[in-house]
Amino acid sequence: MLDKIKKYSWLIDSLMEAKWSTKKEVVHNFLNAKKKYVPKEKTNAKVGDILKCALCPNMCRFDCPVARVGNSEALTPAAKSRIAYLMEMGEIDFSGEFVDLMYKCAGCDASREWCPFDFSVEDLLVGVREDIVDKGLAPKALLELKDKLEKNHQIYNQSLIPPDTEAEKARILYFMGCTARAKVPDVVNTNIKLLEKSGLDFATIPDEWCCGAPLSTLGFKDSFYKFAEHNSRLINKSKCRTLVCDCPECAYVFRELYPKIGFRLKAEILPMNQFLLRLVEENKIKPAGLQGEFVYHDPCALSRKLNVCSAPRELLKSIPGLELKETYFSHRETRCCGMGGMLGITNPEISSKIGESRISELKEVCSNIVTACPTCELAFKNANKDKKVKVYDISEVLLKSLEK
Amino acid sequence: MNTPEKGYGVVYRPKEKLSEKKRKTVFKRLCDIVGPENFSDKEIDKIIYSRDFWPIALRWMLERKVPALPDCVVWPENTKQISDILKLANEESIPVVPFGEASGVLGGMIPVKGGILVDLKRMNKILKINDKDLTVTAQPGLNLMELERLLNKEGYTMGHSPQSIYCSSLGGNLATRAAGQFSTKYGKIDDMLISLEAVLPQGEVIRSKTVPKSSTGPRIDKMMLGSEGTLGIITEATLKIWPYPEKKELLSYAFEGMESGLECIRKILRRGIFPAVIRLYDEKETAFRFYQTGKAKDKCLLVLVLQGDKELVELETKVSQDVCRKHEGIECGEGPVIHWFETRFNVKEASDFAPREIIFDTIEVSVTWDKSIELYNSMISAMENVNGVIVAFAHASHFYPQGVCFYFIFGGTPVKGAEPNEFYTSVWDAAMRSCLDAGGSISHHHGIGLMRARWLGEELGPSFEILKKIKKSLDPKNIMNPGKMGL
Repeated sequence: MLDKIKKYSWLIDSLMEAKWSTKKEVVHNFLNAKKKYVPKEKTNAKVGDILKCALCPNMCRFDCPVARVGNSEALTPAAKSRIAYLMEMGEIDFSGEFVDLMYKCAGCDASREWCPFDFSVEDLLVGVREDIVDKGLAPKALLELKDKLEKNHQIYNQSLIPPDTEAEKARILYFMGCTARAKVPDVVNTNIKLLEKSGLDFATIPDEWCCGAPLSTLGFKDSFYKFAEHNSRLINKSKCRTLVCDCPECAYVFRELYPKIGFRLKAEILPMNQFLLRLVEENKIKPAGLQGEFVYHDPCALSRKLNVCSAPRELLKSIPGLELKETYFSHRETRCCGMGGMLGITNPEISSKIGESRISELKEVCSNIVTACPTCELAFKNANKDKKVKVYDISEVLLKSLEK
Repeated sequence: MNTPEKGYGVVYRPKEKLSEKKRKTVFKRLCDIVGPENFSDKEIDKIIYSRDFWPIALRWMLERKVPALPDCVVWPENTKQISDILKLANEESIPVVPFGEASGVLGGMIPVKGGILVDLKRMNKILKINDKDLTVTAQPGLNLMELERLLNKEGYTMGHSPQSIYCSSLGGNLATRAAGQFSTKYGKIDDMLISLEAVLPQGEVIRSKTVPKSSTGPRIDKMMLGSEGTLGIITEATLKIWPYPEKKELLSYAFEGMESGLECIRKILRRGIFPAVIRLYDEKETAFRFYQTGKAKDKCLLVLVLQGDKELVELETKVSQDVCRKHEGIECGEGPVIHWFETRFNVKEASDFAPREIIFDTIEVSVTWDKSIELYNSMISAMENVNGVIVAFAHASHFYPQGVCFYFIFGGTPVKGAEPNEFYTSVWDAAMRSCLDAGGSISHHHGIGLMRARWLGEELGPSFEILKKIKKSLDPKNIMNPGKMGL
């Protein structure tokens, strides 16, 4: 409080010196004016925050992956907020191109890095998407996706690796996640092998549902609630002390989003690479060696949302012979793979362009790319059209180093 | 204008609308020039391309008004396309407004007469970095931060770091003669420019030679600097770069009053030392930004950053410290400078205060040393005397052996039923009048746009008529960014 008084002493002092009429007007406006500029009725969107973003000169635009590849003003972060504001205030209809724009975001959180208000544009847009859903105006393709998720409990159609059935007893649960299970199943097999080698008592979850990230991101908050309820019930009734997630987005959802809607997991939640580093440090896994240069790509969800940058690097450095390379844009200043925020589904063209742009930056450094997120791996495999690079999950690199 | 019945109001509406027939023909021809993927007449683009960061335009945002709508937006990919667009616009007498990233604070890009909005974002590449010559050649749509990061990656800096570095383009900076916060060492964008390519209003392409200097008559290319889109479109530029500094020294001192702080800076420059960053804050702004620096309480804080070659920086630091001590500066250490580095891009005032009906804005002017303190005092008092102003303070932040740029900030609220824009304009009027009377120049680096247009005649005197003649000769149909700079 004292610091706040000190901070605003310049304003307080100036106000004291001002004429009575000015003082009165300032205080009245400070307390009341703002109400004029937000909707009277309750909205899911945080319109006051959206307005702040809309009034900004767009200070995060240079690092927005969608704006960088799209090269159109409407795709910049503050422009989305300006349109969102006009929609929420009822000046333009929730329709067509205005609604479509609300989904053109990679959910990479780069905006938060540069925002003086600590806003993430994705967070601002999620509220607007929830309003779109409440008004019954969600795009048809997204409604179909939601229905499919509610029916199958998984995001992809492909056959999934069947889960284990010993979950109730194990102290360590491995949450595989939809993307790894359906799209990069080698990663799941690798992780299972690594966990087996460690000799720890672990299991997968028999009735693992999607963590719910797609539903939350797209504004289907009621469906997200059901998924959170299901997964947290399963995990909390087990003997699990540690929940290990292959996908950093799942870990983020469990750690940050579930508690926001009332579901707190009893277990410690760890991204796989952090858990594997722990096993290496405890000598439960002993990397023998692997020769070669590998460039590490920081996934947005891991580096920015979970603030995990050093664990994957430590893990790679623990492998004798492996030479870790870095890109200029790394750690929290990493660049998106293009598949976050459901962009691969809502706007596949923009998503691929972002993936191609990032892979070319990584390629400049070396031809072995290693990451710690199945979605990034998938994006790079899709973008690796000339097959000039190899893309690995960090677990795969670790396993290779054991097998030598 | 294709404005929906329900919805935002448009402030500037062109007197003459394009007929449906003309619209169709022109749009088709534009699509032929740039390709349909680089053309839009969608409502969403027209709204988004309707304004910059001018505080009046921000007010309109709160009132759910849109300043002005262009008829369409195009994203050219090369110089030829720009030339063809301008030829077409001349033929059809349609306004053309060039667009960078719209961080201008004076309404310079608002398409007040509608027309074709030419967004340069798809011309955003670095074409060449020349290590031996220490130059970079780049396209105008390149974001400044992207440019600086790519240069840093290769071991260079351009040394151009305005507060808008995150949100402005190279072309926009050239077209407004912008200045960065490291300008005392590296110069303003005008000083950095070596050569350029530009398309003039009737489609002619000019290109200057990349040489360090020549004596070949007046420099026509330099006329594009500060022309704010009224004399054509810059399509390429070659600029100076520097090796990334190997050493950085951070110093800060507190002074009793602006006069003694300014005198100290003048003496540092007189010794031939050009710190990259020099910023002297008056007492009020020191209290606003450096309230945690106890030693600077009720004083004026000076921030210095010296950077470059290690040995030179060490010597420059020693001399600067000696001069500061001689002028009774109280040493405040690195802390305030680190704080400045951490907060220099926190542009929050508009977002925080505009919805509370408290208006903040900045006014930057330049003046020679001999008139500097009089100008500072008179502008502060002119702004303070406007009914509704709560604060007026300033820092000096770009320095020359001959003088200084003052950057004023005012904040206040309309009283007695005054409209916000009325209040805002009255503060500006008071500040501009006082600046001219004190012998300063009305703008150091933000430019003219709409807001300063009516003061430009008095600023330039007879030269303003010459500028008008040049404009008339290059752009007889006045298609290029009409209504700006009083042209």
